[in-house]
Amino acid sequence: MAALEITERMAGEPAGRGAELLAQVETQERLRQQVDQRRTTLGRIAFGIALLLTWEVMSGTILDQFFVSKPSHIAAALWAMLTKEALLYHLQFTIVEALSGYVIGASAGLVLGFLLARLDLVYRIIEPYVVAFYGIPRIALAPLFILWFGIGITSKIAVAAIMVFFIVLINTIAGIRSAPTQLLQVARVMGASEWDLVRKVVFPAATPFIIAALQITVPQAMIGAIVGEFISSNRGVGHLISRAAGFLDTPGLFAGIFALLVVVLLMNYAITRLGSYLMRWNPKGGVRDIA
Amino acid sequence: MSTDAAVIEVRDVFKVFVARGDDHQRRAFLALHDVNLTIGRGRFMSLVGPSGCGKSTVLNMIAGLVQPTEGEVRYGGTAVAGVNTDVGYITQDDNLLPWRTLRENVEVALEFRGVPARQRREQAARYIAMVGLRGFEHHYPHELSGGMRKRTALVRTLIYEPSVVLMDEPFGPLDAQTRVILQDELLRLWTGTDRTIVFVTHDLVEAIALSDEIALFSRAPGTIKQRYQVPLPRPRDVFHIHADPQFPAFYNRLWNDLREEIAAVQLEAT
Repeated sequence: MAALEITERMAGEPAGRGAELLAQVETQERLRQQVDQRRTTLGRIAFGIALLLTWEVMSGTILDQFFVSKPSHIAAALWAMLTKEALLYHLQFTIVEALSGYVIGASAGLVLGFLLARLDLVYRIIEPYVVAFYGIPRIALAPLFILWFGIGITSKIAVAAIMVFFIVLINTIAGIRSAPTQLLQVARVMGASEWDLVRKVVFPAATPFIIAALQITVPQAMIGAIVGEFISSNRGVGHLISRAAGFLDTPGLFAGIFALLVVVLLMNYAITRLGSYLMRWNPKGGVRDIA
Repeated sequence: MSTDAAVIEVRDVFKVFVARGDDHQRRAFLALHDVNLTIGRGRFMSLVGPSGCGKSTVLNMIAGLVQPTEGEVRYGGTAVAGVNTDVGYITQDDNLLPWRTLRENVEVALEFRGVPARQRREQAARYIAMVGLRGFEHHYPHELSGGMRKRTALVRTLIYEPSVVLMDEPFGPLDAQTRVILQDELLRLWTGTDRTIVFVTHDLVEAIALSDEIALFSRAPGTIKQRYQVPLPRPRDVFHIHADPQFPAFYNRLWNDLREEIAAVQLEAT
């Protein structure tokens, strides 16, 4: 029964001097972590301020203000956009386009990826075609989509979706194929049905790949929507930006870019949280923040 | 059925595998040559032999994961055709699902078998306690030691009470101490049940300490060269198995027979 003793002691509470030391080190460790955390946060804020300050000072002195503008002017332009040009109205279109495209592209990639990865022969037949399509610079499809779907919101959703679709598709297939054969065999012997296997073995095994794809594609969806708006539209932040460029309004241009930055950061935060939750079992501590 | 009735019969089995050879050409090779093996209900049977002799293939056939090229494997009187969910399978890797906690891993087979949640939980708690893992239910596999993971793998298989447990070098990757401790636990969990165990190992001491019977495989293409009844009485003390008076002579006999096969492999390789 030696085995029982060993595990029991590991589970039990230590006592005496050992317990004191344990508590002491734990408190120290917690404190150290808090300090680390605070340093990181402060450092990030300081770096951001330093960047903006440098920009502010260099612009108009070393750099031509016409081309790089100034943070203070950009802030003013942002405020003007917000109050006079209905930035939120435009933003709303861009977000709807990017988000719908993201959801449609990702779902299609996931579902099709699952089907393809499970149908070996079909996959082997169409694999070169998938790779070929993946190789097309997808932005080049934007004019085509506008031709097909008009200059409204649909064409932008389509561009955003195609940006997302192939990356999610290819990652899903790779993830599913990474499920260890032995794990599948053992689960089968334990009595798992095909549906059990997909739900409880194959899908969780693929999550690290899928989450990575979902993270990478957040900005891709935004790129799709914006490029669509650049080419032809009368609404959306892309439209605001290209109009500002047309008027040689650099502060307005930067203001539009900042608005997009904020949206992408928020979307990325949401997907990172989802990822860490889904991957809480992962020894590598879940998903890295790649924003 | 009496306890001596055969639960597993391997009859005239041949197995040909196709694999890519050194020259990247597809080559067929013979893995098993006319294997015959009968295993009685409730017996602890070990399979030993040189590496690559097809021992694991025999286990895979009993589990229904691999089909013989010729001959048949009968389980409980009928030929094994598909995956045999009547058996439990424990391999060298623990094969725990990394995304499930210890308890969820122990429960998974019952989930597959449609056992209600309440009952699953109760049974899992009982089995987890049996191997001294209480307090670790909510840990993920990567938070457990190798020995703990192996115990988890053991009980998550025993929990659905398979009448035959196939074990493919289950304690191979463990350190020497944990290995003996787990051998002892395995004997404890098995004793008094009518469960049949088929155990593949390279470790002759382990085979002698645990089994009723040992089948020695020849080098590839594998066939059964010799069968032995282990003369050591039960209950056995795995911690002092060397001290058993029967041990040295039996060990030497086994080792001499195995050595011939290993030496032949080495000769063929040079």
